[in-house]
Amino acid sequence: MDFLFKLSEKVNPFQSIIVLSIAILILSFFAVSKNKAIKKYLIALASVSLLIAFLLNIHSYVLSGNFSNFLIFFGNVQMLEIGIIIFSAMNVLFFISVYRETEDSFVKELILFIFLVICAEFIIISKNFLLMFTALSIFILTIFQLVSIVNSNVDKIVMHVLRFFLRPTLTVIFFFFGFSLLYGATDFKDFNQILESEYISNPIVVLSLIILGIALYLYFFLFPLQGPYMKMIKRNSLAANAVIWFFYFPVGIFLFLKLGSLYGYFIEKNSVYLYSILIIVTCGCMLAGNIGAISTKSLRRITSFLFLFFISTFLFNISIYSTGIISVYSMNLFNFINIFLILFSFMPLYSIFSSVEKNTGEDNIRNIRGLGRNNIYAGVNMAVMLLSWLGLIYYLEPFMKFFNRTDFLNMGAINIVILIVFVICFIFLFINILRIFISIFRRATGETSNKVLFPKFLYVYITFFSIVIIITSVMILLRKLGVDIAFMNFSVTEFIF
Amino acid sequence: MSFQLMVYFNLILLLIGVFGIFYSRDIISVFVSLQFIIFSGFINFLGFSRFLYQNSLWDKIFIISGVTVMYFLMFCIIYYLYLNQGVLSRKKLYEEFKIFRMTRDNWWGEDDK
Repeated sequence: MDFLFKLSEKVNPFQSIIVLSIAILILSFFAVSKNKAIKKYLIALASVSLLIAFLLNIHSYVLSGNFSNFLIFFGNVQMLEIGIIIFSAMNVLFFISVYRETEDSFVKELILFIFLVICAEFIIISKNFLLMFTALSIFILTIFQLVSIVNSNVDKIVMHVLRFFLRPTLTVIFFFFGFSLLYGATDFKDFNQILESEYISNPIVVLSLIILGIALYLYFFLFPLQGPYMKMIKRNSLAANAVIWFFYFPVGIFLFLKLGSLYGYFIEKNSVYLYSILIIVTCGCMLAGNIGAISTKSLRRITSFLFLFFISTFLFNISIYSTGIISVYSMNLFNFINIFLILFSFMPLYSIFSSVEKNTGEDNIRNIRGLGRNNIYAGVNMAVMLLSWLGLIYYLEPFMKFFNRTDFLNMGAINIVILIVFVICFIFLFINILRIFISIFRRATGETSNKVLFPKFLYVYITFFSIVIIITSVMILLRKLGVDIAFMNFSVTEFIF
Repeated sequence: MSFQLMVYFNLILLLIGVFGIFYSRDIISVFVSLQFIIFSGFINFLGFSRFLYQNSLWDKIFIISGVTVMYFLMFCIIYYLYLNQGVLSRKKLYEEFKIFRMTRDNWWGEDDK
């Protein structure tokens, strides 16, 4: 036992990565296996290794606190982010297992997927430009390999995959160029050193930050450059969509948060150019996401437009921070709540939508018509998820900030513009969710919803999420009412950064 | 070669790359444009290292690992494209291809093409 503890201390904070590497090693012995029983055993192995990695990630932080060296930094935020990524990975594993288990290449896909988790962890803990860049490049390379291998209908999708992945490639290349400028301007190798130095206002540093900002803009396919993303999601296999939504985007968000401190320096200066650009981009993304979702009947397009809206909510948080309405603490809190909202509401809803599509063979909102009447249990669960998706409590908080008299009067016209756009977007989001809600509980006209048969494990899956959503909502409401419900030093309405 | 000349040369390479990405006519032009930006970053690293930081080792490691990964990523994309296209349909490589093409169905209505 002592030996294990000593070993654990030696490899700190890489325990979770080592567990996943061991899982890859075991999986690689069965890479060409087509046996069903072995595949099931390997799914269990991958799930257990992810679970152990999740626990070890928390354990390593509790054991030795912050850890830092030339290449990496591991603190409480990194621990939280890795936890989110591993949780997300467990869910994506669920989707891959459900939709790809019968394929011959399934074990290889599992190996690639665990590689992807390791790359994501390296991106999160990286401090040095060298590790950050290499981890990001390998992450995009692995995600490209996984998405291309998971798509069996190659003829239709090949050009769309190409168009999609040329953007992250461009992101990587812009990162390379941006880092070269940062290196030239400062000779520093990480963002914190630059932030603490006098070089921060150097024009070359500002130029490199603009280039990195453009790179991230391309990475997220924000408005008006969302074309390849929309087209690929529409034609992708169901498992590949899960990889893009629940892995590609969250990792991008964490990468953006890594740069947040540097951008924060310029945001705090209240640069008119910066917040004007931020507000224009935010308004464009939020409106386009919502209006696009109203104009289509395809469930995939509705969810991908709404996903774009949720991604632009991060920009919205940064915009209201840039105009001084909220503090940096509130911005970080809202960003993390937004990630939780995406994961806990999008994942179970996507599992139901994808099941409906698999059963009916068609991607159309009319296929969910009457689903709540024919299958009351699934209907109630979906109602809980849609309410959570609407994120009432989360959205109320910025609203209250807006109506805080001091802030509202101090900031003037720009505040009113943001408020109007925010109200319009919220109304559109409400209409979109109401549309899905009505479709679910409307009387079915044909036999479409009768065709939908959910497997038993899907009931377990959606029940888990519904329970989590209900418990969290109750805890937040109690907290708002002033009842202290914090346990084990953990509170759902507070993060310490 | 002076430091100033290197910076100007590097800027020209970057602008050619960015211009090429926006105005490329086919996929191959896009990849060539990407190469210009990679080389621009490459020269930045080497130039700054030589003129400002006494030939440090860190930037060489960055260049080797970075360039290897970026070229491997581009190779994978090209390989995937070639692997999944028949001999006749490889003409697509020379068809019009714009990386930032915007169409109506990107944000409105259905996309059934």
